[in-house]
This record gives sequence, C-alpha cells and structure tokens, in this order.
Amino acid sequence: MTENNLLSLIIFAPLTGAVINWLIGGRLKNEAFSGLVACGSILVSTIVAFYLAFVANGGALFIEHPVLDHIWTWIQVGSFRADFALGMDPLSGIYACFITFVGLLIHIFATGYMHGDKGFYRFFAYLNLFMFAMLTLVLADNYLLMFVGWEGVGLCSYLLIGYYTKKNEAREAAKKAFVMNRIGDWGVLVGMFLIFTLTGTLSFFDKTVDGTQVQSVFSFVLANMSVEPFTWGAIIAGGLTSVGMLLFVGATGKSAQIPLLTWLPDAMAGPTPVSALIHAATMVTAGVYLVVRSNAIYQLAPTAMWIIAVIGAATAIFAASIAIAQNDIKKVLAYSTVSQLGFMFLAAGVGAFTVAIFHVMTHAFFKALLFLGSGSVIHGMHHEQDMRRMGNLKKYMPITFITMATGWLAICGIPIWAGFFSKDEILYKTFAADKYFPAGKFPGEEILWGIAVFTAILTAVYMTRMMVMTFWGEERFHHEIDAPHHDDTHDEHNDAQVHDDDEEEHHHIPHDFKPHESPWVMTIPLIILAFLSTAGGLVGVPYAMSSLVGVKNANTFEHTLEPVIAETRMESAVAARENAKSHAPEVVQKERLLAGLSVVMAVIGIAIGWFAFRNNPLRKMPKILEQKWKLDELYNGFIVDPITRLSRERLWKGFDLGFIDGIVNGIGGFVMEFGDLVRRTQVGFVRSYAAIIVIGALALVGYFIYYGLKLVG
Amino acid sequence: MDFLNSNLLTILILIPLVGAVLTLAHQAFWKQESQLKWLTLGFTLLNFLVSLAMFSTSAKPGASGFLFEQNVPWIKAINTNYHIGVDGLSFWLLILTTFIMPIAVISTWNAVEKRPTAFYVFLLLLESAMIGVFVSLDLLVFYLFFEASLIPMFFLIGVWGGQNRIYAAVKFFIFTAIGSLLMLVAIIALFFIYADQTGLGGSFDLPSILNAMKAGNLVLAPQTGMLLFLAFALAFSIKVPVFPFHTWLPDAHTEAPTAGSVILAAVLLKMGTYGLMRFNFALFPDQARETAWIFITLAIIGIIYGALVAMVQPDVKRLVAYSSVAHMGFVILGMFSFTEAGMQGALFTMLAHGVTTGALFLLVGFIYERRHTREITQFGGISNVMPIYATVFVITTMASVGLPFLNGFVGEFLIMVGMFQSQVLSVTAAANWNYIAAMFAGTGVIFAAVYLLWMVQRVFFGKLANAKNKGLEDLSWREIGLMIPLLALMVYMGVFPRPFLARSEDAVKAIKERVMHQAGGSIEKTELKPDAAADQH
Repeated sequence: MTENNLLSLIIFAPLTGAVINWLIGGRLKNEAFSGLVACGSILVSTIVAFYLAFVANGGALFIEHPVLDHIWTWIQVGSFRADFALGMDPLSGIYACFITFVGLLIHIFATGYMHGDKGFYRFFAYLNLFMFAMLTLVLADNYLLMFVGWEGVGLCSYLLIGYYTKKNEAREAAKKAFVMNRIGDWGVLVGMFLIFTLTGTLSFFDKTVDGTQVQSVFSFVLANMSVEPFTWGAIIAGGLTSVGMLLFVGATGKSAQIPLLTWLPDAMAGPTPVSALIHAATMVTAGVYLVVRSNAIYQLAPTAMWIIAVIGAATAIFAASIAIAQNDIKKVLAYSTVSQLGFMFLAAGVGAFTVAIFHVMTHAFFKALLFLGSGSVIHGMHHEQDMRRMGNLKKYMPITFITMATGWLAICGIPIWAGFFSKDEILYKTFAADKYFPAGKFPGEEILWGIAVFTAILTAVYMTRMMVMTFWGEERFHHEIDAPHHDDTHDEHNDAQVHDDDEEEHHHIPHDFKPHESPWVMTIPLIILAFLSTAGGLVGVPYAMSSLVGVKNANTFEHTLEPVIAETRMESAVAARENAKSHAPEVVQKERLLAGLSVVMAVIGIAIGWFAFRNNPLRKMPKILEQKWKLDELYNGFIVDPITRLSRERLWKGFDLGFIDGIVNGIGGFVMEFGDLVRRTQVGFVRSYAAIIVIGALALVGYFIYYGLKLVG
Repeated sequence: MDFLNSNLLTILILIPLVGAVLTLAHQAFWKQESQLKWLTLGFTLLNFLVSLAMFSTSAKPGASGFLFEQNVPWIKAINTNYHIGVDGLSFWLLILTTFIMPIAVISTWNAVEKRPTAFYVFLLLLESAMIGVFVSLDLLVFYLFFEASLIPMFFLIGVWGGQNRIYAAVKFFIFTAIGSLLMLVAIIALFFIYADQTGLGGSFDLPSILNAMKAGNLVLAPQTGMLLFLAFALAFSIKVPVFPFHTWLPDAHTEAPTAGSVILAAVLLKMGTYGLMRFNFALFPDQARETAWIFITLAIIGIIYGALVAMVQPDVKRLVAYSSVAHMGFVILGMFSFTEAGMQGALFTMLAHGVTTGALFLLVGFIYERRHTREITQFGGISNVMPIYATVFVITTMASVGLPFLNGFVGEFLIMVGMFQSQVLSVTAAANWNYIAAMFAGTGVIFAAVYLLWMVQRVFFGKLANAKNKGLEDLSWREIGLMIPLLALMVYMGVFPRPFLARSEDAVKAIKERVMHQAGGSIEKTELKPDAAADQH
C-alpha cells in the first residue's frame, strides 16, 4: 500500500479554483483573471495526475497496489464506515489523466468561446466545480465517496445546462437532466445498501486505516461468493445480480441509456464547451466507470451482464437512427454520444471491460474534438446551430474543417484513427462473446453483433451527413426554414446575457455575413485533440493487428488495465482468459477478417452519406426519426401527466382537503357552534375561541382522568 | 463552574422566562416599542451563549445518568419532582432550539406591526417551554411543558398570521390538544399502575419507572401496555406529523408568521419524534416493536405522499410544509428500524431538517415581505433581479434535496442503511420486507428533486415574467447575515457529521438495547462472516 498525499491535490486544486472564481472573480469581473485561475487550477491537477500515474512510486498505472490518500473519516456509525479517501489504480489513473488533460484543453477553448459573456467568472467557477466532482468520482476509494462525486457532477451538470438562465428551454433541460439522473441515483443508492448488507464494506481497495483492516468489496466477493444463475429470477433475489442491476439503473441515468436517455440531447441547451466536457468526454462515461469498477460483481452476475449488453446495443442503434435525421449540429453529436455510450456498455456487457474503457478514452478524444469543432462552427456562424443554414464552411474555417475531419474519420472507424481500434475490438468481442464472456455461454451474440455492425454503418452515414451539410455544398447562410422556427435552440451565449429586455431574442444573420475562423485559443485545443484522435488509439492495438507489422506486445492499454479486472475462479472465466492470451492462428485470422469487414462497413457508410447528401444536403428525413420516436411525448403522456393529476386531484384536493379536513372541520364546526350557544361574548375573536377550546379541553381532561382512574382502579 | 454545571438547564429555562417578564415591565414603564426586538434578541442570544456551556467537559452524569441533572421535589402530594437532565438524545435538539431562536427573532426585524410586546413575549415564553420539553425527566413536568409550548404558538399563528389565521390556529390547537390529552391520561394511568405494582406510591419519574420495569417490579399487561403506548404515540404522531395526521401542518405553516414557521419546523415538530424515542421506545419497547410495521408503512406513505402533494402546490410555503411531511417520514422510518444507523440517522435528520427547512421558511419570508404573495405563478426569472437570494435559495434547496456534503444527505442515507440492515419487518423466502421498505423510501430521493427543482425553476429562472418583480431588491445585509450561520451549518454538518453523531451514540445504543432486550434476542442482522459465506462454494 502506497500513501501519497499529492493525490488530494488533484481534486482540491479545481475546488480552490472554483472558490476563488466565485468569491474574487465575481468582484473583479476580469476575464483574464478568471480564465487564468480556472485553467491554472486544472493545469495543476493535470500535472499531478500524470506525475502520479506515470512517475511517482513507479507510476500508479504500473504498480501492483493502488496509491491511496486517506483524508478523513466521513461517517462512522456502528459497523458502517465511509472514508473521505482517494485511491489511484490503473482504472482511476487512466480516467484521471484523460479527464484532466481533455478538461484542460476544453477550459482553454472555453476562454475563447465564452469571451464577452457577462457570467464569465460564474461559468468557470461551475466548470472547475465540475472537475472537482468528476475527479472525486473516479478517484474515490469507496462507493459512498464515489456517489458524492456522482451527485456532484449531476449538480454541476444541472447548473451548467441551465447556465443561460433566461432560456426556457435551458431551464427545462436542466431540471430534466437532474431528475432523470436522480432516478438513476436511486439505483446506485439502493445498490450500495445492498452491497453493504452483503459484504459489510463499501471500500474499493484492501487497506489499513488507523490500524483497522478494511476489506474491499471485491476481494470479499471473490473470496466468499460464487457465480449466480443465469435466470430472470436472479434479478430480484437480492444477491449480486440485484446489485448489478441496481448499479446499472444508475449507469443508465448518468450515461443516458434506455430508458433514461432523453435528457442528454436536451442538455445541449448548455454552452458548447459544457457539452464537450460533461456531456461527451467525461461525466456521461461515469456509468461505464461504475460498471467496470464493479466488474468483480458483474462477472458473478451473468444476467446483469447480459442485460447491460442488450441495453447497450439497443441504445446504440436507437440513438444512431435519431442522429441521422437531426438538423441541429449539436443534436447530431448528442445522439451520437448516446449511441457510442451504448457501444461501451455493449463491450462491458460481453465482458470486454478493458475495451469499454479503451473506447471511453478514444471517444473522449474524438467526441470532445467534434463538439469543440461544432462550437467553433457555431462561434464562426454567429451562433447558428442549424446545419440547414451552413454549407461550404471549409472555405472559411480551414483549421476547424481539417481537425473535425480527423474526428469524423476516427468515429467512423477508419484504420489508424483512434476510434477504429476501440470500436473494432468491441465488434470482435461481441462476435466472439461465447469465448470471452467470463460467465460462459452468451445467448444472442450474433444478433448483438449484427446490431453493432449496422449501427457502425449508421454512424458513418450520419457523421458524413453532418460533415457534408456543414463543410461542403453551397452556402445556405440565409436559407429560410419552413419548419416552425425555434430561436430557443440557439446557443445564444452573448445574447442572453447582454440584452436585458424581455423581448424574444430574434436571430438575424446580416446580409453581408461571412463566417470566420476562430481565434487560436480555440483552434489549438482542436489541433491537439485532432492529434490524439489520430494517434491516441495506438496505445491499444490488439495483437491481431500489431502482429501484421511484426509487433507482438502493442496492446499496452489492455495490459495496464489487467490488474483491475477481477480474476474469478469460475471455469468459464479461466477459459476465457486462456483464450484471450493464446492468440491461436485461426482466432487471429478471424479477428483480422472481421476487422477488414468493419473497415468495409465504415467505407460503405461514408459512401452512402456522401452520395445521399453531397448534392442534396436538405434531403427530407423520416418524420418519426426527426421527432425522436416521440419518446418525450410518451413519457409525458404516460408517466409525468398522470402522476401530476393524481397528486393534485386525488391526493391533495381529494384526500387532504376533502377527506381528512372534512372530518376535522366537521368536529370543529360542531364545537364552535356549541360554544357560540353557550357563550356569546364581545371580547376579541381569538380570545373567545381560546376560551372555548380551553374549557372544552378541561372537560375532556376531566373525563379521561375519571375514565383512567376507573381503568386502573 | 459548579453552580453552572448543577443549574445550567434551569438557567436555560429561566433566561427567556425572566426575559419575558422584564420585557413586559420595560414596556409598562418606558413604552419603547423600538427597543423590544433588541431586548428579545439579547435574551435569546444570551441563552444561546449559555447553552454552549453544555459542551463543558467538566460535567459529570447525575444519579440517573443524565448530564446537568437536577432533581428537586415539587408537588409532594402527587410525588412530582422537578427532574431535568440532558443526554445524547436531547443534547443537539437543545442547542438547535437556542440557536434557532435568535435567528427567528432577527427575521421579524421589520415584520411585526401589530402588538409587538405580546409578540416578543410569546416568542420568549415559547423558548422556555421548548427547552423544558427537551430536558424534562418527569412525565408530568414534561406534559406541562409540552402543553405550554402549544399556547404561545397558538397565539403567534392566531394573531400575527395570514388571512386564514384563525382557522389555522384552531386547527393546530385541536389536532395537538386532542393528542396530548390522551397522553395525559396515559401518564396518570402509569402513575397508578406504578403505585399499584411497586407499592412505593405513584411516580411520574421516568428513570424510576424505567428502573422498576427493568428490574421486573413493574410489568404492564400486554393490552394495557398497548393502550398506553398508543396514547403516547398518538400525541407524538400528531406533532411530528405522521401521515394521516398531517393536515394541520400546511395550514399552520402557511398562516404562521415567518418566525413562527421557522420555530415550528425547526423545533416543534421534533418534539414529536423526540417524544417517541424518549418515552414510547423506553417505556413500551414490546409495543414499539409490534407496531413498527404500522409506523414504517405510514412513514413511507408520508415520504411519497408528502412529496407528491408538495409537487402540485401553488404556494411556495405550502410546498415547503409538505416537504416537511416527507422529511419527517424519513425520521420515523429510521427510528422504527431499531438499528444504530437508522436511529442515528433519524436524530441527525431531525437536526438537518431543522436547519434546512428553517432556512427555507426564512427565505420564503424574505420574498413575502417584498411581494406579499407566495404564489409560484407570480414569480419567474427572480434570479435576474435577486442573484444573491437565488444562490442562497438554490444551495438550501440542494441541502433539502439531500445532495452529499450538505446536511440532508448524511441523515437520510444512514436511515436507509439502517432500514436495510433492520430485521424489524418480516423476512420470508420470497421477500425481505425491510429491503422493500428501504427501496420505497429511497424513491423519496427522486421526488424531492422533482418538487423542489420544479419550484426553483419556476420561481427563479427564465425571463422576468411579471413586471411587479422588476424592482425587487436583493437580500439586505441583515438577511444575508441571517443566512450565513445556517448555510455554514448545512455544509459543516454534511462534511463533518461525526461530532454530531458521536454525541448521541451512547444514548442511541442504549435505546436500541432496550428495544432489543425485551425482544429476547438480537434485532440487528448478524454480520455475514466470511467463513459462513464461503460454505456456499
């Protein structure tokens, strides 16, 4: 066990930044100051995170035991204890590194994007607070502290989505996000209680605190519990499968999976850097983190894993089908994020935990890039987000175009770009789930694989559509859109703050309007992210590919994460591990074949997108897809409205006011009428009532004493 | 020091009482109404400072194991003693009372126009009575204080309340008076049963009665025990209020002046839950256990029902009042789980709810003083004109929603942990009802977010919809100063809950023992031992 107090610096630096910006930045109203404090504090976190992950004590990513930092004991009641303590092992180390680094880039980008906004300091205070919560989430050494971060990111997400407080759409979206997340939180909460009841601990790591031995949940599970049956009944049996399902309920909330997915696209009402940081790169992948962190539990709960894989695949294709018909550039990316998160859960569900995390990381690179790129487009387009009014932007915004193009290739899965390696491995692991699934046979793998491949084609299609509509074709800056015009959907970050009048803000693009490239504080982060989206996948090249060029051990990523994946003693799990290590020629051959196939699929998808939209960018898409399968209407009509009606009409007006108060008023009326008869007085209202009541009370007391004496007597 | 240690609680009761008399005298001779609030503030602050002496480590437990214990014969004829003392159950509630009073007084600074003398005298009398409730160890003395606290509140609502004040005050009085009268009967019955069985003459002394019970000298017949238990429980359940006795609360809260609402939420409701733990659990452990399923069911209904009805309230204050029903449901749930975590969580939630809901009522009062309305539809976009107010309100809301690191979370979390560990409900092969109870209670977490955030969204965000709100002034320094200690407590209690929990640990363990002892076995689930579970392999 290694102790290193530097660990807490990673989370407290952004917290300090947030406090400084809130207290001092609010008075100074100086953008340079606020930006410097915010970016500086994240820079500190980044340096410390990388130092601890790669250098100190041999590097937390490479040593056997996690680096721990016990700060204080938070709650201790009876046998229940929860520490405020951090731990960095390979999993949290990887997360901490990419969160701080991508976060730093997005902070820098935001100083340009938010320039001129009245709430500049407030924005960065929230953003820093988010980093604090997110880093607490991944570095926490127990479930409860993780839950603190989990709730914290939910709060910051709420604050940042609703950042443009004057937009009705933003405040609706913020509330929706918080509430849907809360539904998920219920699952995490109850899951934690069940974990504690089953194992007597909530810690992630075996450790010694103040001389007491604390066992980790996972070592307890591995030592004392065995694999649960693969049945529906296991879900409600109160064992590990129940835990797994409850935690996954939380994951569906935070990571926008079916059925709790509708908040994420709405969340795009927040400023674009927020969408990039919170709703693409970091927070929404917290659900994947939770599942992978708890892999020891899931490996013994095959039902839960199977459901995760199915939900993941279903979400992937569902969201991709919607993305294809959206006209708002950020909405396309939002549904794309939901879809990609589905891929990650599919990977986790089939037992490819390291691959899920690999995709989390590459996705963080290319999706942050795409979002920031879209932010740059929106910035250059005078806050226009509707792609129907874009076109030919490659002429005006070359850097944005080239960098976004790398992100496009990455997400489509063109070889050597980062997304290719991670997505391809997900497809392969799904195809061969029977062999690699730790809990043994995996029913329905072919169907899931088919869905995943089809989704991969769709991904290429909608991304190509987005690129074509934005960067190619003719300029449509003044294009009139016949659909009901909705001004509220614009990312009106200056407008909302500067104009204080109550008039509805109308969006006008001047006639001599020319889009412009963004300033360097915005393009440099794009360039760095473009580089990462291109080369970032090379840390996790699977054996089947690297051996093509004669390199045997190129999958550093998987190798690093291995200690995090619990080694259960189940026969099937042992066999799966053997399988993964054997690299038998026919297996390698099959993997290469599938990889080739998925490249072909990507190319087909791009081709479809190109030929369908290059010359006809405004092609009408099916209405039902544009309307998101009417999911929101469904929820409102069948859940929200009935509950509201029931509460108002039946519970409040019916039961409280009608029934209970009816009885009480009946009695009260009788007493008062009676009192009126007995004693008509001229003294004030209250005193006469009081007198009546006191007399009545005394009479009652007398009666009860008499009765009481008889009872005893 | 010795004098203070042995008379501290009496001094705490007397300071407001003497203050009330002096205030009256002051008005009789000088008629300086403008000085009234200063006088009252002085006395309440003094009382708070004196109450801090309870942290003194030099105090030794008295004969019955209570700190600062005092036992003086009062009415010899009926063997009533002025027996007072404090322990882990009442410690923080006392501090909460003395802490919230100055805040309540400051909140009235510009709000009392009608009969200020009477108003402040009632506030001071109320404080004396509330402190008396939490320190009394003699059943009759407790009852007197319990009833005495009713009267000032009745007048505070009835005279200084809103439009429907008479109705609300009478409703408040009828509900609570009926309940406590039955309790009086039970107290008297207990007196005679004690006399009958021990042959020592009757007694109202709680420690003596408990000792007799533990020694087996006083055994209640099951049926008698149940009747007595129910009489006590009814009084306290109405006070809490437990569903379905809750309908007096929204009316009382809505009509009461701000200071009244704050005190009502922060302290008066806690007299109910405190009473259940102090008297019902200790005196009638068997009955408490047998009826636990009823209380747990009602608590869960209260949590969900309170939240659902809060959601559709058009009036902000009524909404906060219904949220109290939900929060107090959690407290009841934790208490009746009969686990250390659950009961500790219940005590903690009592404090947290006092601070947070008190703060919410203050905040509602601020806007009411400016706009003379609390209708949600009258607002919208308030954050544009009152940014500080909006910030403070949102933080307080988050504490009430139960966001970790704010005070609401710790208590409710422990309550649910306790309910999960509990074995008070039946465990069958098909279902563990304790789990199910905890899971249902957990939905309160979702609903709290819904009703509070919906309200916050409609009041604070969006464009400034109503022209009348344009000129609203942000919080004054007095108002900010009022909120700072409350906000600080919300954070402190959320981040460092252990000092609060540590105080009540022994008392909670003792009560849990008491309930378990009568069961003749362990209620808390035996922990899963590694070896035992390994057999499954």
